[in-house]
Amino acid sequence: MQNHLGALNHGFMDPAPALYTIRINGHLGTTMLSAFPAMASQRQGAQTVLTGLLDRSALYGVLAEIEALGLDLVEVRQEPKEA
Amino acid sequence: MTIISAPAGSGKTSLLRAWADRPGQSHRLAVVQVQRDQQDAQQFWLALLDAVRQASGTASRAEPPAATPDFNGQAMVDRVLSELADHRGRVILVIDDLHELNSPEALTQLTRLLTNLPPHMHAVLATRRDLRLRLHQLRLAGELAEIRAADLRFTERETRELLAASGIALSQAGAALLHQRTEGWAAGLRLAAISLADHPDPERFVAEFSGSNRTVAEYMIAEMLDCQPGDVHDLLLRTCLLDRVNGELADLLTGGSGSERILLGLEDANAFVVSLDPERTWFRYHHLFADLLRLELRRTLPEEVPALHRRAADWLIQHGQVVDAVRHTQAAGDWPEAARLLADHSFSLTLDGQAQTIQALVRAFPPGEDHPELALVRAGDDLVQGRLDEAAAHLAVAETYAETAPPDRRRRLRVAIASLKLSLARRRGHLASVVEQAKFLASPVTGRSDEDIALYSDLRAVALMNLGIIEAWSLGLPDAERHLQEGAVLAREIGRPYLEVGCLAQLGFASKIHPFAITQRRCREAIALADRYGWGAEPIVAPALMTLAGTMVWTGEFDEGELWLRRTAHALQTDSGPGIRLLVHIVSGMLEAGRGRHHEALEEFSAAEHLRSQLEGSHALASQVTGWMLATQARLGRPGEARAALAAVDDERAGSGEIRNARAVICLAEGDPAGALAAVQDVLDGTAPVIGYVTVVEAHLLAGLAHRELGDLRAANQAAERALALAEPDRLVLPFAMTGSRELLEALPRHETAHAALLTDILDVLHGASLTAKDQSSWPQTEELSPSELRVLRFLPTNLSRPEIASELSVSVNTVNTHIRNIYAKLQARDRSSAVQRARELRLLSAGLTR
Repeated sequence: MQNHLGALNHGFMDPAPALYTIRINGHLGTTMLSAFPAMASQRQGAQTVLTGLLDRSALYGVLAEIEALGLDLVEVRQEPKEA
Repeated sequence: MTIISAPAGSGKTSLLRAWADRPGQSHRLAVVQVQRDQQDAQQFWLALLDAVRQASGTASRAEPPAATPDFNGQAMVDRVLSELADHRGRVILVIDDLHELNSPEALTQLTRLLTNLPPHMHAVLATRRDLRLRLHQLRLAGELAEIRAADLRFTERETRELLAASGIALSQAGAALLHQRTEGWAAGLRLAAISLADHPDPERFVAEFSGSNRTVAEYMIAEMLDCQPGDVHDLLLRTCLLDRVNGELADLLTGGSGSERILLGLEDANAFVVSLDPERTWFRYHHLFADLLRLELRRTLPEEVPALHRRAADWLIQHGQVVDAVRHTQAAGDWPEAARLLADHSFSLTLDGQAQTIQALVRAFPPGEDHPELALVRAGDDLVQGRLDEAAAHLAVAETYAETAPPDRRRRLRVAIASLKLSLARRRGHLASVVEQAKFLASPVTGRSDEDIALYSDLRAVALMNLGIIEAWSLGLPDAERHLQEGAVLAREIGRPYLEVGCLAQLGFASKIHPFAITQRRCREAIALADRYGWGAEPIVAPALMTLAGTMVWTGEFDEGELWLRRTAHALQTDSGPGIRLLVHIVSGMLEAGRGRHHEALEEFSAAEHLRSQLEGSHALASQVTGWMLATQARLGRPGEARAALAAVDDERAGSGEIRNARAVICLAEGDPAGALAAVQDVLDGTAPVIGYVTVVEAHLLAGLAHRELGDLRAANQAAERALALAEPDRLVLPFAMTGSRELLEALPRHETAHAALLTDILDVLHGASLTAKDQSSWPQTEELSPSELRVLRFLPTNLSRPEIASELSVSVNTVNTHIRNIYAKLQARDRSSAVQRARELRLLSAGLTR
């Protein structure tokens, strides 16, 4: 999968962790949330928003976990860096 | 080809199973289930090959596919394709959970397989995500069908059918609500069905579920666990950490009994537990299901998780499942123990062909938990990958650590280190220094535990093989043969066919003192054994292929020799130590020289000479390589160059028969036949050391050429006759071709030689033919000739008349006539020349090889 990594950021690899928000359909209970120990969670309507400071491999780890648990991924967003 | 690409729990596996089990099919299925996080290309391909062989019914014909430490993916794909091509009927290859294959190498090979499938084949791949298989061509050609999540989603009607089939009474509205809430997701509906089956009020269940915002998976797994009896609930949670489970292991982890019955019940009741064998003893959980259970376990019983891993690891190690045991020890966080386990077994695992699995296990150690024991594992891996300097560095770390280890541990580590050092030395061609070490390893071990004995047997068999190789290749010792034979016997006893092939393949080369017939038989035995296991194109068997090619070139069977040489080159694609590559160049040079192509021969001999100069230690054929290179230079009209190089040869080799012969060739090229005679004098009287008697044959021929130059035809004839006499038992042809002895032989009167048949063969080759060595068995049955008939037969290629033959054999002409009549009948020949032709094909004309 490593070959995909470069492509996202126009071939530019940023080694520093960034703040990501990840939106998932449905409410995640304590069991599901235990799969994302590095992320804070917040319910918004019928969705759950996970927030956390992740580097690339951590991000793909989280995405793999979402895939493995059959969760419905809605959005992944990197928050702009604070000035 | 069909690809099913859809998220976890979409029902891919269920679809495949239902489709495979549907009645009335004429094709056969080859089903491969990819293991979780499979990073070992060889393990994947062995599973695939096994499935294909089971499906095409060839599984019983040969040995099961076995792993090798020298995995060649390219050759493996060819093997699978040839199995498929051999099968007439329709075979469907099913690969489930392909997303678990985390080996770029294996995926590349799989693409090659898929784009080269024979027309009667169909492949079905199931995966959670689109894979990086390069299948554009198939897609463009309309050969690719895709089934995606939307296609797998249950419709409302299908939802009602599922509920009805599970015996659940739910209103139409309730079913619609359930369908809407799960969005037709198969895993959600299946989990709901389990809970609904025993639910007192299904409508309320659906209403509550529908009112909840929780994810379908989490809600349903909680409900499902809630409705299970206590022991089932307990078993699911405590065994979900295992990739596969059986009743005994489950009992151990739950501390209960009757687990097997529960597992059987679970398989019957739902789609998340499936048995792995026809006897239904091993089970696995659906991956999504297991992942959800693991989360639940970690949430509800976090303190038990390490203990469960440890207990599983203990059981697994006792049952020889080392890789899984290491994984669970790592998962328990017992990193030093995991490192020790891995170090203890890495040697056997490498022999099992699990090198890539070892690499994955080493990668799993976090940076802070590296352990000196891992240096030993890394050294072994470096050796497999051919990184010799890194291997030496890791071995040095392991040695330093071994000094500080507790005494019992120290002994074990030392044995393993010694064995790896021996392998390293062999790969480097650096030898004499480690022979002592090898002898200590090769001695039998007594009074240890079973596990120790197994480990030491592996070590000993490898040590015997390496020792034999060193002795044969570097030092030319007669002990080589004994050690290799012992190694082969031990390897057979302990069930290591790979090592047995390795020892046997070296035996041919090691047995220089035997007639070619024995050498060839040994080579063919090794090759046959390798073929049985599918290793016919692997480096391990290359020495046998090479030696067989060499003997054929020696006997003038150039065309067949070339075929074996090509097979050797093919086998050496993945791995080639300098020692064997050197030999490939020598035999290639011999072949070119035999065909009179001296320019090409010089290229090969020069390449061999270059490799020889790179070797740290000596090579058994060192003087041969240098000698032939110099002689070929001289034959190409460059005696000055050859003489300059001759002056640079060190004293020890300069005295060898091979270099003396080269000196003679240079003298002849310089027009100094007397100098040539002086050069070969010590070879002819037996005082110069020689690699083999072939050097002496060569020396006689060079002497003959020199006598001819000097005008002494009688001495020239005598020298040629001596060369023929020496060459007769093995039917050597090559020295006559290499030395350019055609005129020398043609001048030899036929009635003056006792080797007319061999002479005829040699002259055939010198006129550009290649002898054919057909196995006698491949010819139509020939009635065996009697010894007296054979004696007469040998005179047929000569110019002697029947009365002359009779007088040579001191029998009557009538007797000769009777014998000749019988010979014609038995060889189905019409006349003398066709009888000679036939006899030559059957190899009946040489005294040495008749039975």
